[in-house]
Amino acid sequence: MASHSVLDDLKKTQILELLEQGKRVDGRALDEPRELIIEINAIPKANGSAKVRLGDTETLCGVKIQPDRPFPDMGDKGIFMCTAELLPLSHSTVETGPPQAPVIELARVVDRGIRESHMIDVSELVIEKDKSVVGVFADVVVIDYDGNLFDACSYAATAALLTSKIPKWNWVDETPVLAEGEQTQLPISTIPVSVTMGKIGNHIIVDPNGDEWASMDARVTITTDSDGNICALQKGDSDGFTLEEMHQCGDISVKVGAKIREKLKEAQKAGQ
Amino acid sequence: MGGRDATMVLLDENGIRCDGRKIDEPRKIMIRAGGLKNADGSAYIEFGDNKILVGVFGPRDVHPKHMSNTDTGILRVRYHMEPFSVDERKRPAPSRREIEISKVIKEALEPAVMLEKFPRTAVDVFIEVLQADGGTRCAALTAASVALADAGIPMRDMVAAIASGKVADTIILDVNNEEDQAGQADMPVGYMPSLEKITLLQLDGVLTPEEYKKCVQVGVDGCKLVYELQKKALNDKYFGNKGD
Amino acid sequence: MADKRKYVIPGDVVTTGPFRPEQNVILDGDKIIATMVGISEIYDDSVRVLPLAGKYIPKIDDLVIAKVNSHTSLSWELDINSCYVGFLPAQDVFGRDFSAHADELTSKLKTGDLVAARIANFDRTRDPLVTIADRDLGKIDSGVLVPISPSKVPRLIGKKGSMIQMIEMGTDAAVTIGQNGWVVVSCESPEGLLKAKKAIEMVNEKAHVANLTEQVKEMLEIKDTES
Repeated sequence: MASHSVLDDLKKTQILELLEQGKRVDGRALDEPRELIIEINAIPKANGSAKVRLGDTETLCGVKIQPDRPFPDMGDKGIFMCTAELLPLSHSTVETGPPQAPVIELARVVDRGIRESHMIDVSELVIEKDKSVVGVFADVVVIDYDGNLFDACSYAATAALLTSKIPKWNWVDETPVLAEGEQTQLPISTIPVSVTMGKIGNHIIVDPNGDEWASMDARVTITTDSDGNICALQKGDSDGFTLEEMHQCGDISVKVGAKIREKLKEAQKAGQ
Repeated sequence: MGGRDATMVLLDENGIRCDGRKIDEPRKIMIRAGGLKNADGSAYIEFGDNKILVGVFGPRDVHPKHMSNTDTGILRVRYHMEPFSVDERKRPAPSRREIEISKVIKEALEPAVMLEKFPRTAVDVFIEVLQADGGTRCAALTAASVALADAGIPMRDMVAAIASGKVADTIILDVNNEEDQAGQADMPVGYMPSLEKITLLQLDGVLTPEEYKKCVQVGVDGCKLVYELQKKALNDKYFGNKGD
Repeated sequence: MADKRKYVIPGDVVTTGPFRPEQNVILDGDKIIATMVGISEIYDDSVRVLPLAGKYIPKIDDLVIAKVNSHTSLSWELDINSCYVGFLPAQDVFGRDFSAHADELTSKLKTGDLVAARIANFDRTRDPLVTIADRDLGKIDSGVLVPISPSKVPRLIGKKGSMIQMIEMGTDAAVTIGQNGWVVVSCESPEGLLKAKKAIEMVNEKAHVANLTEQVKEMLEIKDTES
């Protein structure tokens, strides 16, 4: 969130006091994320879609799959692009107009988390080498804000991609032609899961809600793949982490990521 | 029989349209008031395959200050389509079509919203089209009206909207996407049912003066049906669990 | 519900005839039309609608809970959960001898502070003027802010304060209710605080339910023998 309405001091004090006792305002454990609800096929006309609720944060991803020209020098690879947009109806402080740096960072971090995991094998998305490839566009929008957009957007994009249906195109007369018939799943090799942790004082908390997000001194988003390897990481905001804290965050991201991966797998199954 | 596209049958010999509807039959409509946690008011509508979400903020401080009006509040409307809402992925930047529709919807709401009660403030209406299937501006205007009421913005009346049109030389109610592409005329209508005033009217296509009058009438009658669903949405949220 | 009260939405005709239009209705010809979602009332010769939605509109002498948004060298700007921001001049806190050079505003109130305040003056041409110069007003040092809809404030207070007193006694919490829908709860025990917060949120959600008092009593586990 770029700017947020002023958090009242009493709340900030309360958050810190509870953390000193190992507690959080909503009763969660420090390493416990909020309830995650995934609704697939929210936009039936898109090739894939998922609506995610992470606590009171709500995001929606629609995947469009359509033929496109390949990037120069990458004629044997399809195109994958993931974007994120903060809708003005999600919070009173969101402004309209071209995206500011925090939203651009959000989009790029979500994109990298999925791209660097090699979730989608883009070499399998070629229609005609050097001329026509399949473009997979995952566009995420934030509908309601209550902290931790990094994870909420990432889960929506991942769930939408896991349940997307890709048609087949044939190369006919120098043009891609849609082939009638069965649609298949995207070529998926792994399920990336991002876990965002905030630091308040000396405490590391997983999945900060809106108030905790406004009280954080620093944050880190770590993405792991199905093998438990770390494939993407972004540290943000103004304070620093100690080496031990960074190690701790790595361990947490693997542990918590594994649990969330199960939820994404359930969503994938439901989409079959 | 049909319009610009000679291959599609838009109206068969039994008076049934391409999606199975009769000529005066609207698509399935569902409206829900509320639903967003942060917006001051919100509404969600499904109008056929259209899925549209509206959030309202206000009355609130105007930034930048020079845009505020000392005598009256101002209404700002942003109609925006998600990249995945249409057949071919749409780029996120606002298109000229979205800018025009934003203005048209704003002017359809202004007669209803009592902005003079809140000088130096703004009421912001944010319309997000999640899935589009013909008639989005009417569905958006309908939902915006409910969201404004949900936000407690004082209004002289609700504004309900639906598009009438012409296919196969016949006046129809609620033009869907195929009928919009291949039919002979498409007329979005926005109407205030209590004050009996038309606040949105556009036309694409060719109508004789008689057809035009009939088309407007059919549109207005359709708006009255839509209004009942707006009423239901607000009743369900605010008066739902109570007996009288 | 007797004929005199009806559920209405904007545009609904409440009644026709020689009535005086009061809050949240307008006159169109001889029709009195509702302008808000709410409950219409016809009493004596006037008609009004009690709104169920909408922001807090400041009224002179209202007690409100406010949050400091920002300040200049001469005044604070307060969020009062309304369409307008509250204006608190430095003299209100420092007294008439206030000097912008000598007196630093943040020594008394800074951004993020919560205060109990009163609306001193308001008309729509200016931002509402706020004061904290009374004994029961001023900076709030402890407690939790629980926001509710301003339209539910009367229900939370209850007849002669009955609802809020019941909640305070059942939890040992101290509750300050702002007319603007912001409520501050403080309590020695965290359990009491949580219970009081839940009770307040229940009233906000179920204000229209007939046996709300019973439900709140049950939730607070108040037995009838206790006071």
